[in-house]
Amino acid sequence: MLWIAIRMLTGDRQKFYGLLFGIAFSTLLITQQLTIFVNLLERGASGVYNVSSADVWVMDPVSRTSDVAYAMPSTALDQVRGVAGVEWAVPHIRGQASVRTKDGDLEGVAIIGVDDATLIGLPKGMIEGSTDVLSQPDSVIIDDVGAARMFPGASPMGERLELNDQRAVVRGIADAIPSFTSTVVLYTKYSQALRYVPGTRNRLSFVLVGAADGISAKELTERIEKQTGLKAETRDEFAQGGVNFIIENTGIPLNFGITVLLGFIVGVAIVGLTFSLFIRDNIKQFGALKAIGVTNGKIAQMVAIQAGMVGMIGYGLGVLGTVGFISAFSNNPTFKGFYIPWQIPLISFAAMVLIITLTGWVALRGVMKTEPAAVFR
Amino acid sequence: MALLPQNLSFSRRILPIIALVGLAFAVFFIWRGLPDRSLSEPDQEPARATGALANSSRVAGAGLVEPSSEIIDIGTALSGLVTDLRVQPGDYVTKGQPLFTVDDRAARARIGETNAAIGEARAAIAEAQTAQRTAEAQLALYRSVEDSAAVSRSEVIKAEGDASSARSRLQLARARLAAAQAALSSARTELGRLTIRAPITGEILAVNIRPGEFVSTMGGNSQPFIRMGETRPLYIRIDIDESEAPRIKLGAPALVSPRGAADRQVNAEFVRAEPLVVPKTSLTNSASERVDVRVLQVLYQLPADAEGAEQLFRVGQQVDAFIPAVDGENNGGGKTQETAE
Repeated sequence: MLWIAIRMLTGDRQKFYGLLFGIAFSTLLITQQLTIFVNLLERGASGVYNVSSADVWVMDPVSRTSDVAYAMPSTALDQVRGVAGVEWAVPHIRGQASVRTKDGDLEGVAIIGVDDATLIGLPKGMIEGSTDVLSQPDSVIIDDVGAARMFPGASPMGERLELNDQRAVVRGIADAIPSFTSTVVLYTKYSQALRYVPGTRNRLSFVLVGAADGISAKELTERIEKQTGLKAETRDEFAQGGVNFIIENTGIPLNFGITVLLGFIVGVAIVGLTFSLFIRDNIKQFGALKAIGVTNGKIAQMVAIQAGMVGMIGYGLGVLGTVGFISAFSNNPTFKGFYIPWQIPLISFAAMVLIITLTGWVALRGVMKTEPAAVFR
Repeated sequence: MALLPQNLSFSRRILPIIALVGLAFAVFFIWRGLPDRSLSEPDQEPARATGALANSSRVAGAGLVEPSSEIIDIGTALSGLVTDLRVQPGDYVTKGQPLFTVDDRAARARIGETNAAIGEARAAIAEAQTAQRTAEAQLALYRSVEDSAAVSRSEVIKAEGDASSARSRLQLARARLAAAQAALSSARTELGRLTIRAPITGEILAVNIRPGEFVSTMGGNSQPFIRMGETRPLYIRIDIDESEAPRIKLGAPALVSPRGAADRQVNAEFVRAEPLVVPKTSLTNSASERVDVRVLQVLYQLPADAEGAEQLFRVGQQVDAFIPAVDGENNGGGKTQETAE
């Protein structure tokens, strides 16, 4: 009997593919837009996630994100080191500078100075070169997206730059997630960064802290804040802070929210209309089935299996489309580091189930009321 | 249900399979694509408090290695050209050992000159003595003549005058000798001042002059000529933020490691805390530099027998230090830790 339902469904190819298209398209729209939305927001946290070994970030109480930070006096490092439960603490500087390229162009760059001795603060992976190059004089490591932006079509290795009247030589390319503004990032040692970033009295932007065994990062942040009066946040809190900053200061959530809503509405409209039209067209068949004694419950099952099949195939194709989209653009610097959070397919699945049940239920009401005599009309 | 395998329906059979395979692929892709945000251990050992300090209240500070005598910038008493350099960086010199000499030709010429003046003065003395003797003899001769008419009164007066003036000339010549001898002594002193000697026993840390260069008493060169200091033992001067200063347990040994070798820590003995709290030296090179951080400087002595300490700590090197703190005082930090543990 259920097989009949499926044959009914696929009998009219146009309607079947119309239904599939509607569901696949709205799945694609919702999943893909949500993915880009989440990834764009997480660009605000990329500065935090690029540093792989710090449990806790310590900053001035007015600092907000990894890029909006107010510098502290250099003794803040020692204050943090004096807190029990801090296994290690290293200085971290993030500053803006203008760089003059070989052609004379001016480009705004972010300078990230990492601890001289341990190089804590560098991204985990390198695309070209090794982190040891920072021990050579005037070395900087550029991030891969920045390299593509600043030296299109050429290798940046060995390029000379002029930073704050100082020489800088690119000797490595780091594998890093770009920031929200996709600024070119130059990594160098802390002492070197002090020379590259035009000077103010206080330079230390952050203190990166590793928690000792047996103390949670959260507990440690409270201890640091109590003892030093500085602001301390765990890695996840600080990453969330960066995301919140973008939510508060840009129109992205509103714009993408509208797109996701539109995807939902388009999905409901296409699927709902096609599905209810399909049911209505088949009302004679349902009538005939009723005439030969098929119960309403069995018919509901049939409609459910029809909806389930269309939904499953459409959803599968839609998710596949999103995956294809993300992987096709994964080499594009704009989409560097984009991924599909596992929650998003579940959300779009829930949306899909909602659309299907909604339209199926509406269509089913008509079938339920159908009298067996309808077959003769 | 007369569906045979040979007339496979695309919509009914293949499409669902494509969708399922696609879903499985998507799950795999999504799972693989999730970003790696795990925390990793740093590759290189950062400075950390170990042992008893690891989980108790402590004060951290950065410091510099310095000689126990502090660094002595050797100056010169006299300006001139460097003619001879007797030491090189790393030499261990004893007190009074010559370090370098300044051009002494002028001083030596003066010595020759004064020697000549001494000879001249001696000759003048001899000459004056002869003249005196002659005059004395003449006067004695006149005096021995008893017949007052034989010698005129004026002759006698003249002879007396001659004798007296010869005595004065002798005195003058003696005074000249004394003056020439004094000049010689002064020239010798000057010669001695042209050899610059080590003020203490210690190690030569830097030599910024080369033979032929001009050294001036006015400074002039931005760099000190020679820097030296007693490096046995070495001291460490640790800057402690003034806000942390009350917490520090003075007298307790500090755990010290040089930059870049954080895993090789040594225990340094407390020497003293400087009585003067000074502005923190921060090297920003800014013209409008202001200071609002002041630091208490605490001195610690590096153990001389620490394994490889010679290679590990060098004068001027930056070190990280951890010092025990006074427990549970003044800012509740210690108390929270106690309750937390």
